[in-house]
Amino acid sequence: MSAPPLPVLLVIPTGIGCQQGGYAGDALPVARLLAAASGCLITHPNVMNGAALYWSDPRIHYVEGSSLDRFATGELLLRPVRQQRVGLLLDAGIEPELRARQLQVAEGCRATLGLDIGPVVTTEVPLEVGLSLGASGASWGQLGQGEALLRAGRQLKAAGATAIAVVARFPDDPDSEALAAYRAGSGVDALAGAEAVISHLLSLELGLPCAHAPALLPLPLDPELDPRAAGEELGFTFLPCVLVGLSRAPDLVPVAGSAVGVPLAGPELCIDAVGAVVAPAGALGGAAVLACAERGIPVIAVDNPCLLHVNAEALDLQVLPAASYSEAAGLVLALREGIAPAALQRPLPGLQGLG
Amino acid sequence: MKLVPLALRLERQPGPLLAQIHDALSVHGQPLRWAITAAQPATETQAAVLLIEAVVRA
Repeated sequence: MSAPPLPVLLVIPTGIGCQQGGYAGDALPVARLLAAASGCLITHPNVMNGAALYWSDPRIHYVEGSSLDRFATGELLLRPVRQQRVGLLLDAGIEPELRARQLQVAEGCRATLGLDIGPVVTTEVPLEVGLSLGASGASWGQLGQGEALLRAGRQLKAAGATAIAVVARFPDDPDSEALAAYRAGSGVDALAGAEAVISHLLSLELGLPCAHAPALLPLPLDPELDPRAAGEELGFTFLPCVLVGLSRAPDLVPVAGSAVGVPLAGPELCIDAVGAVVAPAGALGGAAVLACAERGIPVIAVDNPCLLHVNAEALDLQVLPAASYSEAAGLVLALREGIAPAALQRPLPGLQGLG
Repeated sequence: MKLVPLALRLERQPGPLLAQIHDALSVHGQPLRWAITAAQPATETQAAVLLIEAVVRA
């Protein structure tokens, strides 16, 4: 008989070119493995979203990135739900045919998957999404009409939506070197930074689960397409995974002050219950990982090369290193079963006295 | 509302790091998204230096 679930956070930052998790939901197998090892995995859309591809697992909690950060700092609890009512927020900048494709995905998810979707709101003006790269090469982005996004989000919330899927028109740049590199499996997802800004803004303002899918024109066929990017080229939209993910995303429950030590009356998940955070070894400098480290939650640092080199040594963090996500899953299982990870390594140093 | 991109250089002080980053970003607005994108470890003569990229809501 296995031990009770051990809630684990899985963080793979978006837009930094992670070899696993830097493409079209290509960390989904990792999430499935860690969910099996832990019995309860909390992770974010970048890990789970494979455009037309998705996986629904009741052990996996789909939490937008900024909400995941706030969960890690003790500002939010997560309350599992049977089903969310997912409002659809469409950018007025989407052309009629592309808009119809998005709506047909929503209709398909209602008819074929039984999701509760609606209402649909269109922003008053185009959102004016812009893409940019930081000095590090990481993907960032801009939004010219943030207030229009928030107004549409408030309309959806007032109309009964309990989660929001956003589709914004992103700039097409089919001939760019960056896109060619991404499709060849060696580049950064240039869209990711702006996507994160959109969902963070909406989720912070409304307190609802939110996720984003870009609207783009279909690309010409690339016979050499990297398998990790293939999920994004199977259909006309990136929306199916977002609707499925949000359909069972946990409610975000604000906590006055710190959640530490707060007794729970219901089934909410609290950061106190989390037994480990798993993150790329070179990308430990985000809010969720640092918050966990400051709480003494074990950090499992996985060798998953990316643009950044913000590692345990640079941040003076104590971590459990893992050469792969398979090894990380073994460490999670050990923690879940109450086996000290050090006991699994050789040589095993002798005990040290304090005096 | 305006979303402002930032790049900050932070000299790390003793104590919890998260609060230091939040304080440094909050001067510019409400932090929306941020990450430490480079870090130089401390030496005998100098504190650790962190480079932070961010978008804040001003």
